Amino acid sequence: MNTLPQQLANGLLLGSMYGLIAIGYTMVYGIVQLINFAHGEIFMTGAFGALTVYFYVLPDGTTMWAAVPLMLIGGAIVAILVAVGAERFAYRPLRQAPRLAPLITAIGLSLALQEVVRNFYPGADKARAFPSLDTTHDIGSVTIKDADIFLILAAVVCMASLAVFVRRSRTGRAMQATAQDPDTAQLMGIDTNRIIVIAFAIGGFFAAVAAVAYGLKYGNVDYRMGFLMGLKAFTAAVLGGIGNIYGAMLGGIVLGIAETLASAYIDEIPGMQQLGGQSWANVWAFCLLILVLLFRPQGLLGERVADRA
Amino acid sequence: MTETTKTPPADPTPAPAPHGLIPLPPAAARALLLLGSVATAASAFLAWTWTAEFPGDLTITGYPGGLQWLTFTAGVLTALLTLASYGIRGLGWLLPARNNAPLVLTAIGGFAVTWFTVIAISAELGGLANLEPGGWIAAIASLIPLIGAFALPQDGNTTDGGKEALKAYIAKPDRIPAPTPTAPWIQRAAITAVTALGLGVFTYGIDTEYGELFVGYLIVVVFTVWALHTAGLLDRFSHLIAGNRSFTLAMGFLAAIAFPFTQTNDHYANIGVNILIFGTVALGLNIVVGLAGLLDLGYVAFLGVGAYTAALVSGSEFSKFSGVQFPFWAAALTGAAASLVFGVLIGAPTLRLRGDYLAIVTLGFGEIFRIAVNNMDGDSGPDITNGPNGIPAIPDLDFFGFDFGETHDLGGFTLGRFANYYLLMVLIMAIVVLVYTRAADSRIGRSWIAIREDETAATAMGINGFRVKLIAFALGAALAGLAGTVSAHVTYSVVPTPYQFAGSTPPNSAFLLAAVVLGGMGTVAGPLLGAALLYLLPEKLVFLQDKSLLAFGIALILLMRFRPEGIIANRRRQLEFHETGQLDVPQQTTLTDEPAVTKAGA
Amino acid sequence: MRQRSLVILTSVLTTGALTLTACGSRDDSGDKGGDSGDSTTLTIGVDAPLSGENSTTGLGIQYGAQIAVDDANKNKLVPGVTFKLKALDDKAQPATGQSNATALTGDDTVVGAVGPLNSGVAQTMQQVFASADMVQISPSNTAPELTQGKNWQTTKERPYKTYFRTATTDELQGSFAADYAYNGLKKKKAFVVDDKQTYGAGLARIFNAKFKELGGQVVATDHVNTGDKDFGSLVTKIKNSGADLLYYGGQYDESSLITKQLKDAGVKIPLFGGDGMFASTYIETAGKASEGDLVTSVGVPADTLPAAKQFIATYKSKGYKGDYGAYGAYSYDAATAIINAVKAVKDANGGKLPTDSKELRSKVVDAVQNSNFDGISGKVSFDQYGDTTNKQLTVYQVTKGEWKSVKTGTAD
Repeated sequence: MNTLPQQLANGLLLGSMYGLIAIGYTMVYGIVQLINFAHGEIFMTGAFGALTVYFYVLPDGTTMWAAVPLMLIGGAIVAILVAVGAERFAYRPLRQAPRLAPLITAIGLSLALQEVVRNFYPGADKARAFPSLDTTHDIGSVTIKDADIFLILAAVVCMASLAVFVRRSRTGRAMQATAQDPDTAQLMGIDTNRIIVIAFAIGGFFAAVAAVAYGLKYGNVDYRMGFLMGLKAFTAAVLGGIGNIYGAMLGGIVLGIAETLASAYIDEIPGMQQLGGQSWANVWAFCLLILVLLFRPQGLLGERVADRA
Repeated sequence: MTETTKTPPADPTPAPAPHGLIPLPPAAARALLLLGSVATAASAFLAWTWTAEFPGDLTITGYPGGLQWLTFTAGVLTALLTLASYGIRGLGWLLPARNNAPLVLTAIGGFAVTWFTVIAISAELGGLANLEPGGWIAAIASLIPLIGAFALPQDGNTTDGGKEALKAYIAKPDRIPAPTPTAPWIQRAAITAVTALGLGVFTYGIDTEYGELFVGYLIVVVFTVWALHTAGLLDRFSHLIAGNRSFTLAMGFLAAIAFPFTQTNDHYANIGVNILIFGTVALGLNIVVGLAGLLDLGYVAFLGVGAYTAALVSGSEFSKFSGVQFPFWAAALTGAAASLVFGVLIGAPTLRLRGDYLAIVTLGFGEIFRIAVNNMDGDSGPDITNGPNGIPAIPDLDFFGFDFGETHDLGGFTLGRFANYYLLMVLIMAIVVLVYTRAADSRIGRSWIAIREDETAATAMGINGFRVKLIAFALGAALAGLAGTVSAHVTYSVVPTPYQFAGSTPPNSAFLLAAVVLGGMGTVAGPLLGAALLYLLPEKLVFLQDKSLLAFGIALILLMRFRPEGIIANRRRQLEFHETGQLDVPQQTTLTDEPAVTKAGA
Repeated sequence: MRQRSLVILTSVLTTGALTLTACGSRDDSGDKGGDSGDSTTLTIGVDAPLSGENSTTGLGIQYGAQIAVDDANKNKLVPGVTFKLKALDDKAQPATGQSNATALTGDDTVVGAVGPLNSGVAQTMQQVFASADMVQISPSNTAPELTQGKNWQTTKERPYKTYFRTATTDELQGSFAADYAYNGLKKKKAFVVDDKQTYGAGLARIFNAKFKELGGQVVATDHVNTGDKDFGSLVTKIKNSGADLLYYGGQYDESSLITKQLKDAGVKIPLFGGDGMFASTYIETAGKASEGDLVTSVGVPADTLPAAKQFIATYKSKGYKGDYGAYGAYSYDAATAIINAVKAVKDANGGKLPTDSKELRSKVVDAVQNSNFDGISGKVSFDQYGDTTNKQLTVYQVTKGEWKSVKTGTAD
């Protein structure tokens, strides 16, 4: 049986999720040159927001068709609140501080968010079951679930709307202007603080969408789910060219597929039997990242800039 | 007394200039401060609670115990400062600027630690009923200096109410009178005294047996240091240091060596050695991040390379090369060399990247190291590192018959196993500090700083950016590797788990970076202090049980919020920060910067 | 502005004071340790990850030991001695574990320690306890090297005489599982996965070897990382391999995700694991997908032992956090072994405890070596290597959303 189509599908799905989260990294970075390492935890709180809606707000027996949009809204509200709150209370006071100070804040924030959920969310000290969409469909040799379809649709719709928003709307253009040159943008009458808040909010929203997709696909969420996903999404954002929203999605998909294929096929290469399998997949993914950066230091779709540092 | 308790929060009307926030004549305010602080110190001798259930046994009338000592210290300090503000002879040096901010801060410190204790007693034992009258007296007594302090006029001439008025209370005056020149021997005596005091304070912090005491300790230390800062004493002391650099360094190391001799329990030496390892690695990272400005998110991997190399050649029977047993100097050099090679291998291709791209590549390398080491057990990779089982049973070091694993008696002092390693680690740290300061002051060090500030300009001025960065990267890696070789022996085994990007306990890359940033980038003492704080905080917050990590995360956020340039700010960096941040008085900055330049030349 | 903050401050202080007074009473129910002359308080140390990663399992160890201590105090198991627990958090980090070990050995009231959870942490602690001649009983370390030395397959040699464990080694459990898979379930083609941790990798390696020895076929092996969430690629491989059993060495965090993703992809083969997965959390998080999955666990089924049922009831009624499933019972037995040893030492010493803490510790080590009592996971006694002699293993299977024992036997 040829497993390649299925493996590609696996990679594409995983990558779309990375891509959705990576949007948050890339938008914030594009505007304030800040690596928001707590973004993975924003993704996690989004998942718990959605879980709250399902278990504590909706009546029992709500059909998934009705529940999923409401869970999306609930997750988005929580994630956006956390993201905007983090910006307002943790990052904004540090805007003039040395460049590395926000990084430490982010580390503290991510620890604190994890621990808040673990300590205060009922039952969150272990993984909690999340309603999942498990009906499977066979398309040729590829099997996918309803949750996978949701994920792909969500990724496409979100990316398309974001593209339209950034290109067409006033706020979107203001964002582009701020990313280009914050000082000039401010002089031209753009409220940069508002733009930054919006960037955090959009990042939070996309993270929440990814979180709901994650829950529906894997069927459980836990307080540590954000760490690794966040790290991967950050990698994806850099791979695609940090600051570029299409790059984030592309980077996510490339990373997802690379990981999946490495995990699936490296051990079939003669002489590499021991270096294959899932435990080495991250190594190959990072190697790919390093290779890409060596030949395209600005990432896949990033623009060459004179000095980022 | 009953009247005074009602006063503080009740009346917030902004008072005209000579008064403080609380309308009282200055003389009365000062008297309140003095009386209150003496009363606070005295209250420490009473019984605060009825049962020894609360750690530290605060039940005894007659002498202080546990947290009461801290209240006592804070009270005495406030009293001394108040006396100095009266102009008592011999105490004038405590308050060179004759400002009130230090009084306010120590009063707050005393109040905070006393109330923290009283609240902790009530919370842990379940209710205010657990307080003896002594506890009530202490709570009230500690409130009096606070009232006195806020009745003093602010130092600045702020008349508007609200935040600004409060801020003016704790502001450092713009101008601190220059000290009268003192004889060199007095200067050295002062440095010696301060070092001894520092060792005492630090030792007390490490030895705190329960978390409540540590929190109280932190409260007192923070407010005292802050008070000394606003009094201008810290500036004076850094002057002194600038004039006697090598002497201070020597005293610092003497104090570090003295630490295990003050300990009877090897556990604290164990904490000490872990802090030293962590601090040494942070210092190595400081070359890369603080001096050369390269953000390295996978630095802990170099510690790992050093540790694994040392373990492989240690003669452990679990090592792949179990027949090989290098003497320690050779193992240490091999470990450092292996790290250096890895540093160059990683650096050479990637250092052409700039800024955050380099960050992610180093992060990737860190993860690759951990995963690779975890997989190389002959099952899912080549058989080198023994995979997740790591390399256990690493034998203790033996220098000319001095077995590090044994307890030794040295002139009446007992040195346990960890104390031995602690002393070895002090030696390693001395080497690293030497390398660091030499490198920082050299031509290459100035190139690093130039590159950090503006790479394009530096390159245009003829600095080979790539070569200079590679040297920083390799040097930092080698120093981490060196520390790793000792850590392998200290912990008896090396396993892959500690060498991760972020975790809840040091050392991991995120914590190392935090130690550097928190302590102060580009300084020697900063990362060491940062490392000590980051190591001790999670260790001592255990009494919060499963909320300890939460508290730690919040502490990180708050520290960065209030002290973004780090606890010990690099002078150059502080300038930078203040230039962009807010308007600052120019003459003060030249004042602090000048002597360092002249002395460095001397 | 100032008014507002003052109002907030005052109200916070007032509420705080009110709450404190409201519940204020001098709590007298605590032990009156100091009053009577012959009563001593001894401490039993616990080292486990209590925060962060692995803390769910680690807390199970802490509270397992806590219940043992409470029971001993309540039943006056050792008259005149009150036990208390000192739980330290090692955060699953070796250096922290070692530091905790020195903290425990440095405290004169500590007679013995329970823990740690992770074998990697144990390696750094063993020597510290050996130097202090203090007993350490791990409820969960399974690496054979810890008790039987490097060459345990050929020549067993005990490295530390102070180290014991109430958990069985990977060797017994892996073999028992392989035997049941081949002979009991009649499975012939196994796919073996582990999480590259000491416990999981060791278990998987032994299952692999034993299953082949019995005549089964191991169609492929793979390794995952702890913390991984997406196993799509692995599942596709398993599907393609035609295996009829998935053996997983590791904890439930990953295995519950794997089994769900496996069954969602239409691969209806059971997942078989070790005692690290034996927890209700596994079933709760994997849901219906866990139906038919199996684990091995040490001891006879809990529902055949009233003491074990009592333990679970206490754990639940106290509302303790964490998960008692995997190692709570072993931890209870480990703490009880130390308590019983103290009793034995006291009895042998003419009803008095040795006053010297060093002597007491040393005697407790010997007494633990001679332990012999019925614990809640079965008989508790140790062989010459410090391993439990309890070689009873039980296979459990998820049936209608619950672990049901399907076979109990003795490993050889």
